[in-house]
Amino acid sequence: MTGLLQPLSEGEWTIILLSLKVALVATLASLPFGIAVAYVLSRKRFAGLWLIDALVHLPLVLPPVVTGYALLMLFGRKGALGQALESCCGVVFAFRWSGAALAAAVMAFPLLVRAIRLSFDAIDVRLEEASATLGAGPFWRFLTVTLPLAWPGILGGIIIGFAKSLGEFGATITFVASIPGETETLPLAIYAQTQIPGGEAVAFRLTMVAVVIAFAAIAASQLLRDYTKRGHSLP
Amino acid sequence: MRSLINRLAPLLAAIASCLAMPGGAGAQEPLRVFAAASLKNALDAVAAGFTQASGTQVALSYGATSTLARQIENGAPADVFVSADEDWMDYLEQRQALKAASRRGIVGNALVLIAPTGAAARLTVTPGLDWLALLGPGGRLAIADPRAVPAGKYARAALEKLGAWAALEPRLVRTENVRVALQFVARAEVPFGIVYASDQHAEQRTLTVATFDAGLHPRIVYPAAVIATSRHAKSGDFVETLQSGKARDIFLSLGFQPLPSWNKAAPE
Repeated sequence: MTGLLQPLSEGEWTIILLSLKVALVATLASLPFGIAVAYVLSRKRFAGLWLIDALVHLPLVLPPVVTGYALLMLFGRKGALGQALESCCGVVFAFRWSGAALAAAVMAFPLLVRAIRLSFDAIDVRLEEASATLGAGPFWRFLTVTLPLAWPGILGGIIIGFAKSLGEFGATITFVASIPGETETLPLAIYAQTQIPGGEAVAFRLTMVAVVIAFAAIAASQLLRDYTKRGHSLP
Repeated sequence: MRSLINRLAPLLAAIASCLAMPGGAGAQEPLRVFAAASLKNALDAVAAGFTQASGTQVALSYGATSTLARQIENGAPADVFVSADEDWMDYLEQRQALKAASRRGIVGNALVLIAPTGAAARLTVTPGLDWLALLGPGGRLAIADPRAVPAGKYARAALEKLGAWAALEPRLVRTENVRVALQFVARAEVPFGIVYASDQHAEQRTLTVATFDAGLHPRIVYPAAVIATSRHAKSGDFVETLQSGKARDIFLSLGFQPLPSWNKAAPE
């Protein structure tokens, strides 16, 4: 265990930066969809609503390996959506970092939506109605009243989505395998190290990094929350 | 009520005996075998024959060799371990986790280059082979993770010996076990993959394009051994059975390869 206190190697930095990139992109790219779905689930009432609710929560219930395999069948090079996206827009997910981000986003989506939906649920609808009497249209109302009021929940959703994305393992390894510098994120690297005789030291170092990132993300969310609670508004 | 209790009694007794398990000579207890996942079809058949002949039930747990080895190291209640490579057997042996002198080579395997059925013609793997042209633009080669998984280590050794490793390294898809590499080829997600002959044998959506010369990589041997903590009377018998002529026939019919030691008479 002599290697524990050495500075991080170049390969380890690659893994850490890739993990942060994948988790950030996964969270930010799914955020608009998450807000939209959460809003629909919270405010709209129509016949097929339960179906949307169930679909959104599916990745939470299914074994991650199943979700990963479904992604492979849909978004792989031979998958229906994968082929369509490649021919129409040149977007390829298979065995790319973007595929790792897609897997992380899908797995984190239910948690993101849940957190945001709860804060939409908690908003007093009369505040929105009041702004309507003052002449605000639906979109403007959403942007200036609903969204700022839901901010703590949205922030919570971002944090939990980011955390889940950072730790995603099963769907990622099934969908895009483990390619150093491309799809090998922290959990995949830690897993690979535990599979090597004598790999415990590196696995432990990487685990420590994951712990530090988790603490930093939680601390950042606390600071932001305190900042907004003191009455500051965010842009 | 009474009849319910009567009916439940054997179940309760079974649970009680399980809880009270450690120590006893236990001819009734199943033999616990931990085995590499790639052996599943073959060992299921061998174990069925063993149960028929000896009356001893066999409880088989399949998994990645590395995972199983770590579980055994940490006291998992296994009687026999069948590993997919020598490294992890060495690892356990160094930690005194194996019964002395119980280790045997069971069966071999070959490394093959595979492609989706109908997608490629047979070829010969030589040092001059232009791998990048073979893969085509953007095409990747699926292999098991060469740092950790035995099949990947053998593939890396062969590609290094062929002088193709440096060119191919950025084009690899590294999978967490060899069967995932097989799946990626079967689904035509990648044009080529390197797996064991026995894996290819199990997947009809793939075909063998080339067999790697056995001299290109360390010899592929599946070793079996009795675990040091095993108290089961039949542990040694099971390792013997794995080397029997019947077991060899099963292995060969599933695409595994004979070991050089098979030229000697099989213990029966």
